[in-house]
Amino acid sequence: MALRELVNKIVPIKEDFSIKSLLGFKKTPLNVLVFFMIMGLLLLLVWGLAQFLMHGHHAYNVTREHPWGLLISGYIFFVGTSTGLCIIASLGHVFGIKEFNHIGKRTTLLAIITLLPGFIIILTEIGHPVTMMIYNILTPGITSAIWWMGTLYGLVLTFIILEFGFALRGNHKWAVRLGIGGLIADVAAFTTLGSVFAYLVARPIANGPFIPLYFLLTAVVSGAFFMFMIYGFKHKLNFPEEVKITLVKLAKILGLLLAVTMFFEWWRIITAIYGDMPERADTMMRIIASTSFQLEVLFAMVIPFVIILVSKGTALKALFFSSIAALISIFLMRNDMVHHAQMMPMQMLKKTEYQLAPTWIEYSPSPVEWAIAVGALGVCFLLYYVAEKAFDLDEDDHH
Amino acid sequence: MARYGMALDYKNCINCKACETACKEENGILMGADKHRIWVGTGEIEGQYPLLDLTSNVFHPSQCQHCDNAPCEEVCPTQATYTDENGVVRVNIDQCILCSYCMNACPYDARYVDDRTMTVDKCNFCAETRLARGETTTACQNTCPTKVRIFGDLDDPNSEISEVLRTREHYSLKAHLGTKPKLFYLT
Amino acid sequence: MEVEISRRKFLQGTVAMSVVGSAALSTNLLSSSHGSSAKPGAVSFHNTKTGSDKGHDVATLCEMCVNKCAALARVENGVVTKLNPNPMFPKSKNMLCARGNAGIQALYDPDRLKFPMIRIGEKGEGKFKRVTWDEAYSAILNGTDKFPGLSTILEEEEDNRSSMLFCAGEGMAEHTFKQFYQAFGSANWLNHASICLQTVASGYGVTLGSYPQADLENAEYIIMAGANRAEAIVTPDTMDLFKRTKGRGAKMICIDPRFTNTSAKADKWLAIKPGTDLAFVLALTYVTFTEELQNNEYIETHFNSYEEYKNSVLENKYTPEWAEPITGIKAEDIYTIARDFAAAAPKAVYYPGRRSTFAKNDFQLRRAMAIYQALHGAIDTKGGLIFGSKIPLKAHEGLQPLYEKAKARAVVKSTNKEGEAGYDDCAVVSGGGSWIGWRNRFLDGKMPYKVRGMFCYKHNPMMNMPNTQKTAEMLRKMDLVVTIDTMPSDTVMYADVVLPECTYLERTDPIKTFGGVEPSIAVRNKVIDPMFESKPVMDIMKGLTTKISKPLFEISKKFDEEIQDLIDEDGEEEAYAEFDLTLPFLHTQEELNHHAVADYPGAAEKLHHDGVFYPKQDDYYKQLSANEHQYYPENKKSYSVRGGKPVTPSGKVECVIGSFASKGIDPMPVWRDEYEFSVPAGKFKLLTGRHAQFTQTGSANNAMLIDLMPENFIWINKRVAAEKGIKFADMIEVSSSIGSTRLKAYPTEKIAPDQVFFIHGFGEESEALTWAYKNGGNDNAIIEDTMEPVYGAAAMHETNVSIKKV
Repeated sequence: MALRELVNKIVPIKEDFSIKSLLGFKKTPLNVLVFFMIMGLLLLLVWGLAQFLMHGHHAYNVTREHPWGLLISGYIFFVGTSTGLCIIASLGHVFGIKEFNHIGKRTTLLAIITLLPGFIIILTEIGHPVTMMIYNILTPGITSAIWWMGTLYGLVLTFIILEFGFALRGNHKWAVRLGIGGLIADVAAFTTLGSVFAYLVARPIANGPFIPLYFLLTAVVSGAFFMFMIYGFKHKLNFPEEVKITLVKLAKILGLLLAVTMFFEWWRIITAIYGDMPERADTMMRIIASTSFQLEVLFAMVIPFVIILVSKGTALKALFFSSIAALISIFLMRNDMVHHAQMMPMQMLKKTEYQLAPTWIEYSPSPVEWAIAVGALGVCFLLYYVAEKAFDLDEDDHH
Repeated sequence: MARYGMALDYKNCINCKACETACKEENGILMGADKHRIWVGTGEIEGQYPLLDLTSNVFHPSQCQHCDNAPCEEVCPTQATYTDENGVVRVNIDQCILCSYCMNACPYDARYVDDRTMTVDKCNFCAETRLARGETTTACQNTCPTKVRIFGDLDDPNSEISEVLRTREHYSLKAHLGTKPKLFYLT
Repeated sequence: MEVEISRRKFLQGTVAMSVVGSAALSTNLLSSSHGSSAKPGAVSFHNTKTGSDKGHDVATLCEMCVNKCAALARVENGVVTKLNPNPMFPKSKNMLCARGNAGIQALYDPDRLKFPMIRIGEKGEGKFKRVTWDEAYSAILNGTDKFPGLSTILEEEEDNRSSMLFCAGEGMAEHTFKQFYQAFGSANWLNHASICLQTVASGYGVTLGSYPQADLENAEYIIMAGANRAEAIVTPDTMDLFKRTKGRGAKMICIDPRFTNTSAKADKWLAIKPGTDLAFVLALTYVTFTEELQNNEYIETHFNSYEEYKNSVLENKYTPEWAEPITGIKAEDIYTIARDFAAAAPKAVYYPGRRSTFAKNDFQLRRAMAIYQALHGAIDTKGGLIFGSKIPLKAHEGLQPLYEKAKARAVVKSTNKEGEAGYDDCAVVSGGGSWIGWRNRFLDGKMPYKVRGMFCYKHNPMMNMPNTQKTAEMLRKMDLVVTIDTMPSDTVMYADVVLPECTYLERTDPIKTFGGVEPSIAVRNKVIDPMFESKPVMDIMKGLTTKISKPLFEISKKFDEEIQDLIDEDGEEEAYAEFDLTLPFLHTQEELNHHAVADYPGAAEKLHHDGVFYPKQDDYYKQLSANEHQYYPENKKSYSVRGGKPVTPSGKVECVIGSFASKGIDPMPVWRDEYEFSVPAGKFKLLTGRHAQFTQTGSANNAMLIDLMPENFIWINKRVAAEKGIKFADMIEVSSSIGSTRLKAYPTEKIAPDQVFFIHGFGEESEALTWAYKNGGNDNAIIEDTMEPVYGAAAMHETNVSIKKV
């Protein structure tokens, strides 16, 4: 088969990889469930994309006062997770923590397959993606965080795909070099995405250095949870010793990061409320009173932290389940962050006689927004499944 | 070449919304609750009848402030938002990708999406209509019954707006953000 | 580009619409309103961005309300793309309000009447069929199987021309329609006066001899009582008033039960109990007398029966302390106002106002206000009330033949009042008549003869007067109803024949002279040709009279002995010449307008080009700044034209009018206990009023204006609403003794706990009106048909209602 040979020349593909092998999974109830889940997610995405193509932004519930919605949050969720994975992938080869060497390839792949759904989502969020590609180059807005973020993510994708390719070919030298490039670009890209909000001078709750730093921190948290989830699935919670050692180590790192994250949140809340500064204190009071924020703190921070603390990082089964809850909560966290930045109206007067004075801006995503943001997860899982079948993702021992 | 600005004698405003209508008719703005370049804000009255707090019921005309240091322009990834040779902050709809960053960055809620072009629209001081024809007034100024608005060249020391800004106290909206608005509210 | 949209979505404001060339306008025939027309999804709007080329401007006059502000209509490729203020008109001084700007939507309203139609369904059902103009005229003359025509009616009524009622709304072309009425020979004419400014115009008329203007530009102290100039815009008053409030000019005291936008701009707002302004004025007058604040010099030369009035006020002890519990205004405030007013006089104005009659005592209130103003000598002076001057126009000939069989006006002399004269339902019958008095007599079978049909021009009795149910009943009982209108209004739904008039932007109207401090002549020039098959009323009258004149003359010949004699004497042709209904409509409006200003060289050209003319205009008119213009130099303005002398026949201010006494009307303003404000427990006094973005029902279907304010809400005091569990936008049913209507709640502290308010003009029932149909609440469905006793004007604020959340 010519195509296979051609691909094989670039990256080695598993011998037994075929369409048949893709469909030849064991029909266990769990596998069947996962199959239908992925298909369901993909159908949702296709429907969402079709709606977007037909109606554009009209299909969304974004408004003049709340122009960014679930798609931005979904994008941040995916690319943030990707950044986290990229950082974790580099722990072994780049930072020399040798327990992480054997997960490098797989984690790089995870970084790629979480980045791509992010890109799908952002392309549906941008009203005119083609125009974007043209004028990003012709008339670059170099004072724009979005321009930098977009450009950097282009670089990130290039770096990590090449890195993955070289890793598959066993070219570790280049894989590491590209890995370093990818790491730098990725950290820059995601913190730049944070700066998109941090630059908003008119929105005191977002403005300032907090969000980029918080993004960096929570990216790794998000990536780590993703790792626990994928490895839990892969090994059906029966972790081999080698993996166990790595995951326990990762859990300890995660525990540390969660502790730092909680301090971050604490000081953000206290400094925002202290002094009762308008548009900041009142917004923060509303944030901490919101259910989604409380869930976010509970499931993405407190519970996993307690599990890690109590078990010294060894309760991997508990961490697996906690990770799934934590990832959902991180999705909430991204959504909260986007919403919180826009919650306070920029204009507090009534514009027509018969309306209530503007108060907090409400937003609830449309079905199409939900479909695209959640459906993109299907792409993520599908790609992982295909890659798992096609490539040898486990590290050789030869270095 | 000019540097256009507008002074608003806003205490004369009676909330008749002639300006908003004139703007819509002049510039072909869509109808719908969110679709407006300019508006008049009203506060809901406070106090108990008949002891009402008159100051709570302000009529406050507002729109794009045509900032000299415009956050919307700064954040635009494709330079679709630009300041033209007359100091007017405008949108080049061919370059707009509808990332909506400008809508978020604007401290004045002055931007919205035009549903026909699906690009971001905003007040441009009638640059494509009246100013393009060589007229020297905006639709909102021209039609105002109580003559709230004075539009003119801030760089021309002899212009009416320069004169009025030299001689009357005024303030700008959210001046602390450093946006340097070119709309001035006369007190 | 065209975006279609459903009404629901539009009101939600989620999606919007716009921009369509005139040719693409929907051409639905309204008659198919049960099928294709008007309902959600099928509406497009005309909202074109103006071009960057120099356009072609036509000077016209706005007709979105009664003010007649000057506009310049920008025309591009035959489409009106913008209406701009015409700076040359001293009355409107370079302004056009929201409604003026939205005039384009009236022109391009997809619901417009497009073709002549005749009724094929039941009356009021709104089922019509499209016919040609000739068929429509024939139907008026000969009827159809559904309704009789003029020939049948006049035949059966033996040429009693008064068996046809003629009614018209205010407008420049009302004159043209009125000529038809005069030529037709009916005595039954009803116009908007009795549901509008009858009592204020007449109150000032009988007291000062004229309904004066207020020089708000120069006044230093202004009492705005029951006049809401910020929302009921009047030019130039609104501009003059608000350009200089808040310490930079006149001091303004606003007296209103509601906190209006005018109150918001006042130096002081005093919440008065509805209908008690008379007590307030009498108390002011009392202070003036007791503190000797009046202008004795002026009173000596220009007053009649001054002492009698003074004694009445003093003897009745109309003290501020007396007025305080009646009006709710503190006595000390009344003292202060009386003193401040006198101190500022003659640059002081108790603003006459221009509105409907609210309370039964309105006529007496106006008299008291006029006298109070005059006591300070602030009449015909700069900064006071002024008569101004007027540039005369040359009249043209009309036709007013006398038909022997035409009966006198359908009014009934009083039989039950003691002593003298007066009429059954009011003391004085004015030129415009009493609409609800007439309607109710018709329904009660109290007509002295049969009135069987009506011509209705630019008038919407269904929506514009209290008790919609009764109006519907009247229209149903009329054998022949002919409506001339631009829109398928609720009244048009009851028509037998519908004649589509073009909008004001498609016709030239009779030229008009505007008196005042800065007098001028202005004209409404045609901007574009009439769309669809609509026509100016001038052309409609010409076509109609051409059709009916001869046949009707044949009927007169049968019954009218004087005509028979005339024919015997002069021959038929000459006799007919005196009854030829087509005569007033032989010339075009443009020709008539030329004739009217023939005495002023160059005026016709100037009017055609600039829309405005006054002598020495070129010398006087100057642009002072982008916003300010000079029309007359200060020393040429007509502040004082009579040295303060009133325009009454006696040349004096009439404090006491003896002739009223015999009609059961107080000869001078006095307070009566029955005027006191009271509301039964659990009920609310219903107030109604105007809004700056709507002109009653005339603009109810204007998409641009609905965009600014989608519907009317009922104001309910916040605390009362909270007690009743009513929240913002809850649907409320408002009921009175005559009916109910529904609209959403607006809890606010801008209104007293025992009153509710909503804007007039909403809640149409005509399905052919896309936006207006069942949009908001209709006040006239619940306002009881109370009449004030002098002119039979409808008193709008005399209804108690109950409210209920539904």
